[in-house]
Amino acid sequence: MSDQNKTALDSESNVDALDTELSTWRERQADAWRRRLAFLKREPMGLAGILILLAIVLVAIFAPVIAPYEPTETDYGNSLAPPSAEHPLGTDSAGRDIFSQLVFGARPALQIGLLSAISVAFVGMNVGLVAGYYGGYVDDALMRLVDFAYGIPFTPFIIVLVALWEPSKWTIVGAIALLLWRQTARVVRSHVLNLKEKPFVKSARTVGASDRRIIYRHIAPNVLPLVFLYGSFAIAWAILTEAAISYLGFGDPTAVTWGQMLQSAQQSQALARDAWWWFTMPGIAIMLTVISAFLIGRGYEEQLNPELQEP
Amino acid sequence: MTLLEVNDLHVTYAGDPAVEAVRGVSFTLEEGETLGIVGESGCGKTTLAQAVMGALPDNGEITGGEIIFDGQDITHLSNRQRREIRWERMSMISQSAMNSLDPVYRVKDQIREAIQEHRDVSDAEAYERSRELMELVGLDPDRVEDYPHQLSGGMRQRVIIAMSLALDPDLIIADEPTTALDVIIQEQILYRIKELQRELGNSMVMVTHDISVVAETCDSMVVMYGGELMEAGNVDEIFNNAHHPYTLGLQNAFPSVEGEKRDLTSIPGSPPDLSEPLEGCPFASRCPFAAPECEEKVPVREPVDGHRVRCHEPVPFEQIRDRSGEDETWLSQNKV
Amino acid sequence: MGLKEFVTRRIIQIVVLYFAIATMLFFLFRAAPGDPLAAYIGTGFTQEQAAQIRATFGLDQPIHVQYWKYMTSLVTFNFGLSYITGDPVWGIIQDRIWNTLVLMGTSVILAYLIGVPFGAYLAWNRGTKRERFGVVFALISRSAPVFWTGLLGIWIFSFKLGWLPAGSMSQPGVTYSSKLAQFTSPSFLRHLILPALVQAFYFYSLPALLMRNSMLEVMNEDFVDFAELKGISDFSVMLKHAARNALLPIVTAFAVAAGFAVGGSVVLETVFAWPGLGREMVRAVIANDYPVAQATFLILAGLVLVANFLADLAYGYLDPRITYD
Repeated sequence: MSDQNKTALDSESNVDALDTELSTWRERQADAWRRRLAFLKREPMGLAGILILLAIVLVAIFAPVIAPYEPTETDYGNSLAPPSAEHPLGTDSAGRDIFSQLVFGARPALQIGLLSAISVAFVGMNVGLVAGYYGGYVDDALMRLVDFAYGIPFTPFIIVLVALWEPSKWTIVGAIALLLWRQTARVVRSHVLNLKEKPFVKSARTVGASDRRIIYRHIAPNVLPLVFLYGSFAIAWAILTEAAISYLGFGDPTAVTWGQMLQSAQQSQALARDAWWWFTMPGIAIMLTVISAFLIGRGYEEQLNPELQEP
Repeated sequence: MTLLEVNDLHVTYAGDPAVEAVRGVSFTLEEGETLGIVGESGCGKTTLAQAVMGALPDNGEITGGEIIFDGQDITHLSNRQRREIRWERMSMISQSAMNSLDPVYRVKDQIREAIQEHRDVSDAEAYERSRELMELVGLDPDRVEDYPHQLSGGMRQRVIIAMSLALDPDLIIADEPTTALDVIIQEQILYRIKELQRELGNSMVMVTHDISVVAETCDSMVVMYGGELMEAGNVDEIFNNAHHPYTLGLQNAFPSVEGEKRDLTSIPGSPPDLSEPLEGCPFASRCPFAAPECEEKVPVREPVDGHRVRCHEPVPFEQIRDRSGEDETWLSQNKV
Repeated sequence: MGLKEFVTRRIIQIVVLYFAIATMLFFLFRAAPGDPLAAYIGTGFTQEQAAQIRATFGLDQPIHVQYWKYMTSLVTFNFGLSYITGDPVWGIIQDRIWNTLVLMGTSVILAYLIGVPFGAYLAWNRGTKRERFGVVFALISRSAPVFWTGLLGIWIFSFKLGWLPAGSMSQPGVTYSSKLAQFTSPSFLRHLILPALVQAFYFYSLPALLMRNSMLEVMNEDFVDFAELKGISDFSVMLKHAARNALLPIVTAFAVAAGFAVGGSVVLETVFAWPGLGREMVRAVIANDYPVAQATFLILAGLVLVANFLADLAYGYLDPRITYD
């Protein structure tokens, strides 16, 4: 190829480049989002998780529209009715409609799951960032705190807290958040230890950026995917824990929850009375909600860790 | 007698796009001799070695040609049959020898595993053999009790060499056996490999990007570029009478062993994209002597018996040789 | 640092941690709103009677004396008297420690025996339908709450099929000469099967999923390729090299799993009416029986820490690269 031709081609492509640059700011933004969500296409499991969670969120929002009855409305003449057109999933021993209780049960489950996950992510990320970035005594002290949190038996601690204070969903969220941040903190910290040595952090330091700025502008964005990952797992743990607490009888007595349905089913001898609709359905609801969070987290994890990807 | 014969071998990696990493390479290796395969990284030489060893990655496949080992066509043997030959008859000192030892087992157990997988040998005999092998490669036999992390990089490399000798194979393939090590240890290890090979009489294929290593250790050589053979023949012949500009460029790029020291000049540019088919000479785009005819299919010529060259020789090769001795030839991007 | 020093230092760390957790628990109970003895004392008591009851439980003493007594109880196991029955707490829970250990130990061991090979199998079949199905199955087990699978298990295996007892640990009225005699009796084993399996059905998913990830990572290592190069059969490469190395992070996870197992005893034992620490704790918390609740919590926390310690030791044993510092 002659030099003349080369230059001609170069200037042509320059014009092209300018053109694209001018017109594609929006496209690039859209691209970034597409890339962020691209894992869904490659991870059908993650997509399934998002769809399930979305469906449950919709059920929770439109609970009063979807549920045919008030969840607490008793009808003793119609107790332990098997599924029928009138009561699609039957009734419990007090004649309350199981389906309506399930629908309303989605509300506390999601509230507790999401609130706990946000608090866990917030605390865990900050502890991890500070410990990893500052190192030394700060790191030591915070990591001993993590050890401390790991040494406490999880469910018993939450039972004690909820029983000693008041059995409300706020107490449950607070209790879960008090312990569950430990894992996020540990993972974030070890990631920060690596990031700290990266050139972009070092150059930020040379330029004289404040610690705060380095932590939150330079390092934090790089650990966010991990925080999101452990946040999605925290949703799952929180929902399972809340269900267990309610099942054991330490839940909010005024709320309709899936765990409580199972508790009253067992106490009212639903097993011996063969009222399978009463004790199978709430479990399925819990399982679906929890698995949706696990599927999302897992799909995301496969994308984060290239070694887990298909060859 | 001919131990290994590779005829018009093609290897392709499946994928999008598919990559044809080896494109019709032929050579023979006589018993007791050492053959060097030389070229820059990404020119298909490791793939070639893996194909011979039967250790291609899962997505790699031999798509043409044949490999004849000791009179037997081993091109399309099953995994199982290949496994029996592997290590027993041909072993490999791999590129990543630094990480090739399993961190959780002692050296003696890893050597023993190789021996006992192929031969019915008692633990005590295998242990004796592992100590013997350690001595052979110049290590303290007591180090067989060590875990890999207790050994230095050079020592680990020696352990891998010891392991490759464990069953006294006919053929040893050394794929860049010293790249991960520092220069002094590289020298020692190469010397040791060569010495052992002379002592034990195995044949060897030495894969390297460093043409001076070939000069030091090999009897014959194959120069590869872009998955194709550029030049091949006896080492003395090639070093004294190289025809191909690429060979000359490589000689220029590494300090000569025998002659006076020259400045290191690497050839500007990088190897071609192996996912695309190529009609002409793969080196043409980087060759200071390239001419329009180089875009056409290149025949193999034999200027001297056993010396093969694939080059159109757009200018007489004497001229190529003279001019390739000057650094300006390589540094200027101007083409003829 | 040698192994001995490492062990000593770890033990000291754990003891410090244990006392810290105990202190937190002490103040947690003291800071709780309401009078712990409110239910006990009731309205019909006179001032003197109430004061006398307080004195019996040591609640009339200043807080630092109470704290000192409480902390010494960690060593002497003198946890005071139950608010409900008035019996010594240690006598109530002593027996139950073993009941919990046997149930949880069995289920965790079962979970690892099933989970580790299952995870290795999944990694080995990377990219196949079988693998996808296996991962989803493991996630389902992980999402199904234990008290629910427990209820289903009881319904199916005891109410419908009548194969196994619905709960409790042994037939009523039968006494045994020793704990060992009890734990080896056929009746006990029959009672153990269902709860142990239900808990293992939950726990196996953790080692399984971890093992899968860990195996996939190890399978990319050079030494695995090299083992293949040596002509070693695929199965041996997977078992002796890939799986053996992949096991290391699984051991660390054992501490977490054991921690969850100990904590999870409150749920599992309640479902199956298993007379262990967990069920006792639930009962004590509901009844405001603080001394018993505290003591069970402390024992459970101690078990978590011991599990952590054992996992540390096992890791050092499995990985020759660990230098203990």
